[in-house]
Amino acid sequence: MRFNIGFFIREAFKNIRLNLLMSVTAVTTTFICILVLGAGLLVSAHVEGLIGSVREDVAVTAFFQPDEKEQKIQAVRDSVEGYSEVSSVKFVSKAEALDNFKQTFADQPEIYEDMGSDVLPASLEMQLKDPSDADAVASKLEGEGFAKKDLSYPQQTISRLNEVTGYMIWGLYGATALFLISSILLISNAIRISIFARRKEIEVMKLVGASDSFVRTPFVFEGLVEGLIGATLAALAVIWLNYLFVDWSRQALPFVPISGNAVDTVLILAVLIAVGVMIGVIGSFLSVTRFLRV
Amino acid sequence: MIQFSNVTKVYGNDTVALERVNLNIDPGEFVFLVGASGSGKSTIVRLVLKEMEPSAGAIYVNGTRLSAVPRRSIPRHRRNIGCVFQDFKLLPNKTAAENVAYAMEVTGQRPRTIRTKVPQILDLVGLAEKTGKYPDQLSGGEQQRVSIARAFVSQPPILIADEPTGNLDPDTSVGIMQLLHRINRIGTTVLVATHDKEMVDVMRKRVVALEEGRIVRDKVKGAYADEV
Ligand SMILES: Nc1ncnc2c1ncn2[C@@H]1O[C@H](COP(=O)(O)OP(=O)(O)OP(=O)(O)O)[C@@H](O)[C@H]1O
Ligand SMILES: [Mg+2]
Repeated sequence: MRFNIGFFIREAFKNIRLNLLMSVTAVTTTFICILVLGAGLLVSAHVEGLIGSVREDVAVTAFFQPDEKEQKIQAVRDSVEGYSEVSSVKFVSKAEALDNFKQTFADQPEIYEDMGSDVLPASLEMQLKDPSDADAVASKLEGEGFAKKDLSYPQQTISRLNEVTGYMIWGLYGATALFLISSILLISNAIRISIFARRKEIEVMKLVGASDSFVRTPFVFEGLVEGLIGATLAALAVIWLNYLFVDWSRQALPFVPISGNAVDTVLILAVLIAVGVMIGVIGSFLSVTRFLRV
Repeated sequence: MIQFSNVTKVYGNDTVALERVNLNIDPGEFVFLVGASGSGKSTIVRLVLKEMEPSAGAIYVNGTRLSAVPRRSIPRHRRNIGCVFQDFKLLPNKTAAENVAYAMEVTGQRPRTIRTKVPQILDLVGLAEKTGKYPDQLSGGEQQRVSIARAFVSQPPILIADEPTGNLDPDTSVGIMQLLHRINRIGTTVLVATHDKEMVDVMRKRVVALEEGRIVRDKVKGAYADEV
């Protein structure tokens, strides 16, 4: 049999026009569902980005004794730089420590007025690749001769952080999955209602000798077009909302490291449109199939 | 061409629409199916189209046992049968011409063939002026004629008409009957279910009479009622 794709596309667009209210309902439902889904993805992405930047900030600081020999300091520095858990090491000399201190309290000069350059100890600041390695790094440092009290690292904070962020990320994934499932149900229900209204038509088509696929194809095109329109509009709205949010957060929350880079715009656009189109196509395919048994 | 062998159809649990019907229609025959309302005429039509299965017995169309036709082959089976439905069954979102064209499109005919044949056939049933009208803009008789045009536009070997003149004035009825007669003369097997006594009496064709789901009379060159 000849497969006349032009005929099917014409039929699909004609049906959308003739059943405009139903089509608008399906498009609107898709739009809202995909918008919520996209908002969920955005929140996930930003929270993950935040968590990532918080975890990056975790550092171990080892303070030297005030009278530590220059040689010994150098040896420790070399050794620490070889640690596999450590991504970067920064040495802060006594003078630098005082400078930092002065900077921090620049508006209260009376605090450091008569502080000698010998008061603050020199230290090593180590950034970790993975914050959960803090314990291991600390015990290595103890092996280098540091006392426990000279090591500063937010050990409990780190394990708590790991725990909490793990839950949060799973919670977000769960919520996104729920959004996805409810979108599938809502969108395919809207499509099902619009096809239910035309079940008599489908029956007639079958009675005059149309094959299942002949009846089904225009409906599937229709679902595809509706899904595409609804999802594209929603995806664009999501991207726009993201820009607004990132922009707003720069002014309103300057200390919160929210970054536009946390969101992969193209990926979100593609995922949302693909989800919308897939639900439209599969939803209409399954809905028509129900009424083909004539 | 169409053969019913001990066919019984029960709707639900207790509505017996057909009871042990035996009927044999040869290729090229013209048969009237008559009987009171509710006697089972439409049920026979629906069974031939395999719209539903008989409760008992076997039906053969064109030599094929219908119970052996798989679901995916039903469309091909139906394309051998042009059917004028009692309730027309036109597609509400399509014009008269598009409704007729649809029956050709499902068989995958060329757009050019469709464009030339559809107006011809609508002209034949007297609807040349109404090709662009939608079913709800047409009278009952006009819809019936669209349904007739759709049924034989593809020139199927079998034509079944359920009350094809029910909504027509006597003149148009005669025209439709002449049309069916002409279709029959080119070799099409024609089965017409009707209450139209005058038409049956005038045509002098084979008449099969149903009464409460049973065949009570089957007469070549018969009339609507028993002749004493
Ligand atoms: N879908 C159905 N469900 C239950 N009973 C039905 C159904 N269709 C028909 N019947 C019953 O089956 C019997 C035969 O119906 P059928 O439609 O075949 O009659 P008919 O001869 O075509 O009547 P008419 O001349 O009024 O069209 C009737 O008693 C009817 O009530
Ligand atoms: Mg009937």
